[in-house]
Amino acid sequence: MSKSRPIYAPFKLDLAGKAHLIVTNQPEVPELEAALANIEIWTVQTIAPGVQAPIRDNTRAFRAVPELFTHLAHRLSRAATGLRLYAIGTESFIWDAHNIAMAAGLSATEIHLTQSGPLVRRVICTHCKTTIEDVPQNIVTCPGCGAALFVRDHFSRRLAGFMGVKVDAETPGQIPAAEVFVS
Amino acid sequence: MDLNLKPAETFRGDFSVRNSDAAILRFPFPFHEDRYMYAVNIEPHMRGGPTAAYDAIFDLDEHYIGECEDRALTLLDDPLRCQVLPHMMDAEWDTLELLMESLALDYPAQFTLTKNDASWHWVNRPLGLDQHFTFGDPASLPCPPFEYITRQVQGDFTLQDQRENNLFMDGGMVTSQADWSLNFDLGMSFHEWHGPVPVAHETGVFDRALAYLLRLQLGRPVRRLNWTLTANPRLDTSPENYPIWGPDKAGITPENVGTKMCLRVELQTLTRLPRSNAILFGIRGYLIRLEELVRVKKWGRRLHRVLRDLHPDIAAYKGTLPYRHIIVDYLSAFDDGAVTSAGTSPDQDLL
Amino acid sequence: MKMRIAKILTLSPSIAKFTLQPVSGALPVAAPGAHVIVEIPGPTRIWKNAYSLVSSPEDRGQYEIIVRRVEHSRGGSAWLHGHASAGDVLEVSAPQNLFPINRLAKKHLLLSAGIGLTPFLAYLHTLNAPFELHHLCKPEDEAAFRSLLPNAANITLHTSRNALDLNALLAAQKLGTHLYLCGPDNFMRVALATAQTLGWPDAKIHQESFGGATGGEAFTVHLQRSGLTLEVAPEMSLLETLEAAGLAAPCLCRGGACGECELPVLSGLPDHRDHVLTPERRAANASILTCVSRALSPELVLDF
Repeated sequence: MSKSRPIYAPFKLDLAGKAHLIVTNQPEVPELEAALANIEIWTVQTIAPGVQAPIRDNTRAFRAVPELFTHLAHRLSRAATGLRLYAIGTESFIWDAHNIAMAAGLSATEIHLTQSGPLVRRVICTHCKTTIEDVPQNIVTCPGCGAALFVRDHFSRRLAGFMGVKVDAETPGQIPAAEVFVS
Repeated sequence: MDLNLKPAETFRGDFSVRNSDAAILRFPFPFHEDRYMYAVNIEPHMRGGPTAAYDAIFDLDEHYIGECEDRALTLLDDPLRCQVLPHMMDAEWDTLELLMESLALDYPAQFTLTKNDASWHWVNRPLGLDQHFTFGDPASLPCPPFEYITRQVQGDFTLQDQRENNLFMDGGMVTSQADWSLNFDLGMSFHEWHGPVPVAHETGVFDRALAYLLRLQLGRPVRRLNWTLTANPRLDTSPENYPIWGPDKAGITPENVGTKMCLRVELQTLTRLPRSNAILFGIRGYLIRLEELVRVKKWGRRLHRVLRDLHPDIAAYKGTLPYRHIIVDYLSAFDDGAVTSAGTSPDQDLL
Repeated sequence: MKMRIAKILTLSPSIAKFTLQPVSGALPVAAPGAHVIVEIPGPTRIWKNAYSLVSSPEDRGQYEIIVRRVEHSRGGSAWLHGHASAGDVLEVSAPQNLFPINRLAKKHLLLSAGIGLTPFLAYLHTLNAPFELHHLCKPEDEAAFRSLLPNAANITLHTSRNALDLNALLAAQKLGTHLYLCGPDNFMRVALATAQTLGWPDAKIHQESFGGATGGEAFTVHLQRSGLTLEVAPEMSLLETLEAAGLAAPCLCRGGACGECELPVLSGLPDHRDHVLTPERRAANASILTCVSRALSPELVLDF
């Protein structure tokens, strides 16, 4: 069957860019060889409502991923060509960031994705279209239609998730042992 | 071109569809020799070929009404089988123009297209449609132009946008596919859509295919054949409905394999579109039951030999492994060992 | 297809617009950015030149092209300017598009110089997204180009009197803007370098080069499979030499941009003048794009 599983490169600044924005949903922040004035880093941290989120030097923290994404869309709508976006984190996060960037007019070559954090997948049930988040292994029961789904290595960038297809359609009830994702 | 339309037969449920003698003799049999290996088999798409299936630009046959009804049922159940991304509207109109002009030219008894600048009048007699509309104005049609016209043509279609030295599958009408999901694959680039094929000698094949298609010229469409085996003459073998058709395979027995097992051939065409510069990929599927196919003596012999000697990796990729021996045993009765001619023509005018 | 010259409009001493009508039938629709190959019958040879269509894509009754008479011309454009008249019938290819609009662009920024304006004239008929056009020309051509362009706030002609600040223009573009460049090699080089320095990715820069074949030293080509040995004259391209010998050599853009004419080189040193081969492939010298490239060595052997 067809596979389209993305393969990721380690984080590295794209020096052809003139401004750089790094967004991450993981606690570690990438090491930068030089502190350049045109680099910003956006992170997600636990901050109580009512407390001012810290903005320090070139870093900014958001309360949650949805808030970061709201600001990202807004920021990109005003940005000039020459910007490069880097998304570092779990697979769903980086592809959601990628899709916000594409909608704002960035091309795939101006967006750099690095996977880090738990190896969990977003799965889309082919049969009932339900989206299932944070799936850690390759067999999952769909909360929408109850089917036992096999998670194929087939990945849709548009939907930012993997394809789930009923695993026992030809052999009802016979569900193979699940395997934890190692990539 | 003559078109002897049958009233609608079914491609699901009771599977009432049968091929007439004429339909059998015009089938685009894919094997030109007694063995099968992967090959780059692209050729210019010109009128004429080994059987009548190659005579029209977009081929219609006796199953036209039944296939259009099956498509309508599939779309009622799942509208996501037809989707076109917003930036492809020019390609939608290109497709509508190409298909309407082709059908009206090749089947004038069934279809008429009259143009008065942008005021067009389309008549589809078999489906009872009479439509006035303004070319370029989507609001003048009951549904978007790509959906409107592909509901009236046999076979699946996808639209490839050409940009960044790549082809992106940015639209499609896909209701008779061999197990791939339009909703999932929509927007994929050429390599993503095809995925890495797990056969060593395929390395580089998709690179070359892409480079070739990027230079596909207006007015010079190309075609190739693809084949699989399907249990029951079912058109909708989508991942979405896998729970419905998956169990079909288990029901194949030596007693019913002749009736139930079908050779499925895709006559694929690739056409450069004028305004959008996109590529229209046509996937015209033909289904024939084994018991129908063996009535053409040459094809019965050849299919037996091809499947008997098929490389295991290819057999696995084509999904034929679980019941290959049942099929080969059945076909062996139709192979007397005689020499068969090269090429795919039936070598007989009557069955 | 055969097309008749219906009208020749002189726009300046070196620029003329030709209106071509089909001898019979309707014309294929052409996407903006498409070009046709026109066979120009000279006294001793036939030239095949590529010209962008400037007419509206929806016009099925005629094509319009604009021809600049090239100084030190190998002949084609000079013949069209000096010898062609209304009523002449020419062989014209079906349109092909190697410079299409990008359909995801939120804005199109069109930059042209000289005769490079021509594909943009076709774009102007159909652009849906916002766009800006900046055209550079010599003062003596300004009137001619002005007559071709509508009066609009987003269309600007630049001469030495109102120079274009390319750096400022490119630095101010928002993320979804695509850049289209068309003009002489020098202009393309400068514009491309400026954009890249500002961080524009290649995916958003679209170029149509009007370089084409320009001639050079004569050389010999041996065709291994055909068993022929041919002399490539200084003013003929390698592709034209193959065609003159009756060979069906592949080609598409005739401008070194698409790669269709690539043939394998068995021995000899090609003089690569195309825009397709990577530096590695150029150094390997295992193939040559026949429409524009020539030879550094006295002979080339091709697998053809």
